[in-house]
Amino acid sequence: MNAAIDPLEISALARIMDELDYYQLLNVDPKASTTDIRKAYHASSRSFHPDANRTLNEDLRGHCGKISKRITEAYCVLRDSRRRSAYDSKRAEGNSLRIQISEAKTTHVEQRKAEARGATPQGRQFHAKADSDLRAGNLAGAIQNLQMALTFEADNVGFNALVTEWRERKKASS
Amino acid sequence: MAEIAVGIDLGTSNTCVSIMQDGEVKVLDNAFGERTSASVVHFHEDGSVEVGNSAKAKVIHAPAQTVSSAKRLIGRYHFSEEVKKAQAVYAYEIVEAPNHGVRIEIREEEFSLPEISAMVLREMKQIAERHIGDKVTKAVITVPAYFNDNQRQATKDAGRIAGLDVLRILNEPTAAALSYGFGMGLNQRVAVYDLGGGTFDISVLEIGKDIFEVLATSGDTFLGGDDLDDRIIDLLADDFVGKYKINPRNDPYAYEKLKLAAENAKKALSIDEETHVAIDEVMKSAEGETLGLERTITRSEFSQLTHDLVMRTFKVCDEALQQSDLTVRDLDGVILVGGPTRLPMIREAVAHYFQQEPRVDVDPDEVVSMGAAIHAASLVGEAPDSMLLDVTPLDLRIGVAGGLAEPVIERNTPIPIEQTRTFTTFQDHQESVQIRVYQGDHRQADDNAMLGQFEFSEFNKGLRSDVKIDVTFEINADGIVNVTASDQATGQEASTQITLSSGLAEEQIERIIEQDVAGRVATAAKAAAAAQKQIRPIMNSGDVSGTTTAKVTGVAYSPFGDGKTDLSGVDDNEIKLEDVSEAELDLIDDDELIQLTQEADMNIGADGITLDMPADQAPDDDDDGLFDTSGGDLAAGPEVQLTDEEK
Repeated sequence: MNAAIDPLEISALARIMDELDYYQLLNVDPKASTTDIRKAYHASSRSFHPDANRTLNEDLRGHCGKISKRITEAYCVLRDSRRRSAYDSKRAEGNSLRIQISEAKTTHVEQRKAEARGATPQGRQFHAKADSDLRAGNLAGAIQNLQMALTFEADNVGFNALVTEWRERKKASS
Repeated sequence: MAEIAVGIDLGTSNTCVSIMQDGEVKVLDNAFGERTSASVVHFHEDGSVEVGNSAKAKVIHAPAQTVSSAKRLIGRYHFSEEVKKAQAVYAYEIVEAPNHGVRIEIREEEFSLPEISAMVLREMKQIAERHIGDKVTKAVITVPAYFNDNQRQATKDAGRIAGLDVLRILNEPTAAALSYGFGMGLNQRVAVYDLGGGTFDISVLEIGKDIFEVLATSGDTFLGGDDLDDRIIDLLADDFVGKYKINPRNDPYAYEKLKLAAENAKKALSIDEETHVAIDEVMKSAEGETLGLERTITRSEFSQLTHDLVMRTFKVCDEALQQSDLTVRDLDGVILVGGPTRLPMIREAVAHYFQQEPRVDVDPDEVVSMGAAIHAASLVGEAPDSMLLDVTPLDLRIGVAGGLAEPVIERNTPIPIEQTRTFTTFQDHQESVQIRVYQGDHRQADDNAMLGQFEFSEFNKGLRSDVKIDVTFEINADGIVNVTASDQATGQEASTQITLSSGLAEEQIERIIEQDVAGRVATAAKAAAAAQKQIRPIMNSGDVSGTTTAKVTGVAYSPFGDGKTDLSGVDDNEIKLEDVSEAELDLIDDDELIQLTQEADMNIGADGITLDMPADQAPDDDDDGLFDTSGGDLAAGPEVQLTDEEK
């Protein structure tokens, strides 16, 4: 299962790591959804997490360790919408590829919480309907209502992630 | 085939070792056939050591030489609440070491907590070696998710002292989730409710096939099954006081009897609606009269006694759910871990809180060690990889001016991670800075756990505005913290794998390993195996009346014994057991042991200082306490962190 990554690739990445922004590091598009960022974090961890590299020599393990820590940092910033937008504006100015994770204080939770229930009255309403559909075991109905909610707030990261997840679940069960 | 690496759940009350062999996870039983062993260390007169349930049985007769619940003390400062509490409760001597460290003193010998835990780990190593028929040197050891850096480091040290290469320090709930979801191809969000002997953890994880991502974790390292026992002890002790006007809490022997009775009563209440406690002799009165105790405890009574403790766990759950941005409805499963979760009242409360029945298909006493074994096997290439993506449980902070501590890495941040902050000095032309590192949720530095401190002076001195010191904080995949200070201008660096002042310095660990402190367990295990032959027939015959050893071992055999504790009388069995141990242990040269210990003490005294102090800077008497490494009160530490050392 180990993504048996090429040692040359490890050394190269370690060398140029400081010149990559978080998106490049995770190999995702700057417009990527939180779900995609998360998937990219998992994939990169599979290659570079210390647990995945015990058989490599010490030098390479050192490189992997550094890369792994940077990947975690990237994930930490990009999964949090507040941090991510702070990072995006800094990055747009072209003067920084990194940001302190404690910068743009962790409103992460509150932000996501508010967003999870919807940012518009209609969004909240349809989300609530979707939620009760789901509890009643009506997955198809839940997806439909969430899609309605998304017409009012198309870029709601939580809704998008949820609808993707539900669709996958539906596909898996059918 | 690679060497087998074991998984060890080093618990407050019980320890369990597992391996993964040919794709199967096996919990390994000890020489007595028990799948978990009490985390209790008994010291014989000759310095040899016995570990496990037979050691636990000795607590009634030799409470001062029998160390239990060491996990509650590991990685803590002597002035901490937990240590004070333990001093009140345990009969063994808890003494202060240099730099606020904790040592256990047994027969005028001092042992650090990592040494005590190492003895338990050595026993597990031997159990595994007996099963495998080969040396075992590699292990994954679990710790409560909420353990701080000091506690993790001390646990890792214990592993080294036991002769184990610790491949990974793994969080208990994460291990449990791995055991639950390994190879199942699940896509689930789960909560792991882990109520152990001394600690409570809750972790919320998202399992995506072979990826186990911890979304949030929270816990309380002051809450566990022991605390439930304490409530029963209080009930019994109050009864006793009411009856005889004598407080049994002041007599260590009587206290241990009440404690055992309480524990058994708790276990019995997992099965029965009520249990009868009968202790023929709790203690003797001043006149030599035998004072006994009898009482019936019902489930509802027990549940009332402990209601607030159970509610406390749910407050912690609220926090973890909030941090993971989920509600109980988002969870697909709840996994129970730890002996106390066998209690119906806990199960009912958990089902009510999470609005779903918890999983009961995993053994709460074994699931953590099984998960550790799976991860251990995957780390040595003997099992398919699963990615465990964990988080740090506590804010990591640096001390700044004003006695405050500023967060650098917040709790529930994924690990491994590294963050660099740039600092300047407090004043112009300052000669050195003191870097202090804390873990905890508090803005006031002293309200957090201090991980360590070090001095950095190899920077270009100058005006405040010109000085730039980079401080890098790293949390590795074990959850262990590393801090480095450097000046880009000079290229100089000072770093520390933060050695907290109460922990063991590298040289001390090396010396302990050289002395093979854990090796004292070796012969005792043989003795226990020999003694087993003597205990077994009695157990089998069912004649357990008045034989403490057999009785207590019996409890361990079947965690749900009858709960009726008859702890009266001295037993022949007990004496036999000791006899055997001593015979076996004559192999160790007493003189040599004592000599080594004296050396160790001297060295501990000399090395007990974590900072290298310039000769001209003696420990000072001023109020900043910066160089006060000789026993000053940490809590009354400096108001400023980056400050001038020039007087």
